[in-house]
Amino acid sequence: MNAPVQMTILQSSVMAILQAVAAIIFIFVVVPMTIYAERKVIGHAQDRLGATRIAGRRVGLTGFLNKWMWRMGKVPLLSYWRGLPMLVGDIAKMFLKEDVVPSKADRAIFLAAPCLSMIAAVVVFAAISFSPGALFTLPKWFPIVGGLPFNGAMTDMNVGLLFILGIASVGVYGIVLGAWASNSKYPLLGGLRSGAQIVSYEVPLTLSLLAPVVLAGTLNFGTLTRVLAVETSPLAIPLMVVGFLVYLTCGFAETNRVPFDMPEAENELVAGFHTEYSGMRFGFFYLAEYINMVVVSCLAGAFFLGGPWLLPFGLHQFIAHVPVVGQPCALWFVLKIIFLLWVFIWVRATIPRYRYDQIMAVAWKYLIPMTLVLVVLAGVVKFVA
Amino acid sequence: MKKILRTLIPIDIAKGLKVTGTYFFKVFLTANRAKKRPHGTQEYPEVPVKLAPRFRGRLTMLKDEQGEIKCVCCLACEKICPTQVITIESGKKEGRKTKIPTRYDFEMERCIFCEFCVESCGFDSIILNHQFELAAYDREDFSIGMLGKEHNMFETTPVGKFSYSDED
Repeated sequence: MNAPVQMTILQSSVMAILQAVAAIIFIFVVVPMTIYAERKVIGHAQDRLGATRIAGRRVGLTGFLNKWMWRMGKVPLLSYWRGLPMLVGDIAKMFLKEDVVPSKADRAIFLAAPCLSMIAAVVVFAAISFSPGALFTLPKWFPIVGGLPFNGAMTDMNVGLLFILGIASVGVYGIVLGAWASNSKYPLLGGLRSGAQIVSYEVPLTLSLLAPVVLAGTLNFGTLTRVLAVETSPLAIPLMVVGFLVYLTCGFAETNRVPFDMPEAENELVAGFHTEYSGMRFGFFYLAEYINMVVVSCLAGAFFLGGPWLLPFGLHQFIAHVPVVGQPCALWFVLKIIFLLWVFIWVRATIPRYRYDQIMAVAWKYLIPMTLVLVVLAGVVKFVA
Repeated sequence: MKKILRTLIPIDIAKGLKVTGTYFFKVFLTANRAKKRPHGTQEYPEVPVKLAPRFRGRLTMLKDEQGEIKCVCCLACEKICPTQVITIESGKKEGRKTKIPTRYDFEMERCIFCEFCVESCGFDSIILNHQFELAAYDREDFSIGMLGKEHNMFETTPVGKFSYSDED
């Protein structure tokens, strides 16, 4: 850990804005790439190529992009990246579509719900620590904050984990309120299901994070990551593996991803809670789902896969003294996030949707007892070590 | 007890993940190679399609080595055709023992591509070729006879320029 640098209020606020911009850039680079990867990975898993063109048109922007991507695709390396312009099409569609508000809808809540969903997803990044200490030092010529370290954590507060869990649970209000305000039966059913499901899965999700907290004895994100990666006793390693699987399962349910995508059951409820939404408001829900995926990947990566330290599950303590590999690096963390996002898509390509009672049974009958046992075992390990 | 264990240890999910993961890496690692392509899709307008040997395309008449029409006007194809798209008129030709068609009309707009005509033919004088790009701008282009330069029974239908891959 570097020695803390004294900053004036102006300097620290400018630094906070810079870090927020960096986090938002990170989100808006990772999320479209995830949307693109989703098409490609599911395609590959189903023996297809995935997206290779925008539309079957010869004219206009899409035709131009199609034609040139295919011509360049004759170079073998580029052929995989055909279909990348589809992202441009996606975003253009979201912006250009008409934003319809149903006449009987509760207008204020209807308009506020997607923003709530989106804000709850983005704000969480304030407490996530990508790397201990400084990522890099800003150059001297930079106005106001020149020469100061650019920290890997925006605000590494003492109750970081509590903050993350609290804000993340606000996200469900976006879904339920949006569904309620639509004044339509399918969104309402989707919203109610989503409310019950997410409230159920909050319990095992929080309890599965309680085991690492018991092991580390802190709620600070950075310290928690460091203790779990390099300072836990080797006895805790099997606990971490089981806890990781449980947390990932609950994470799928929290982000409404496919084995648990009850809120938007396409074959029963049209599109679930966002049936009545269109244009950029639908886009907010869509982006919030993917940002939540990134958040869950961040938490799983940080607490169970070692975060910026290379080896997962606390195995890193055995190689912590090795010169280069033993040091923490934000790159490892980003690679772990990318891997976990790939796992999200991989599971979506594999497992069909559960029935509603099965989802509830998994949460209440299996995951909650499992996590309670995990917490007790974590206490025993902490006591023994 | 067995059921609880099966639920707690997700072995079935692991099996499914193994299958999709294997397919993912098989396609991902070979997607950029020109020769080895295990994936099932064909990139149609840009890359020529590989068709199955028994693909049923457009009806075509065959000629023998001397350039003579092989058809002997037995009318088997005309009789068996479910949608009655074939019309044959027979005539005679100097130095040929069997009859020769003076008119063989094929109305492709009603054809259902069932291949009964080819199966009923005892002289192997008609086949369905491997052509499937049969769209045309004129309705007359689907009436195919023995005369005419482009739309006739002996050659494949000229392909219109529909996709940008045809431009070059």
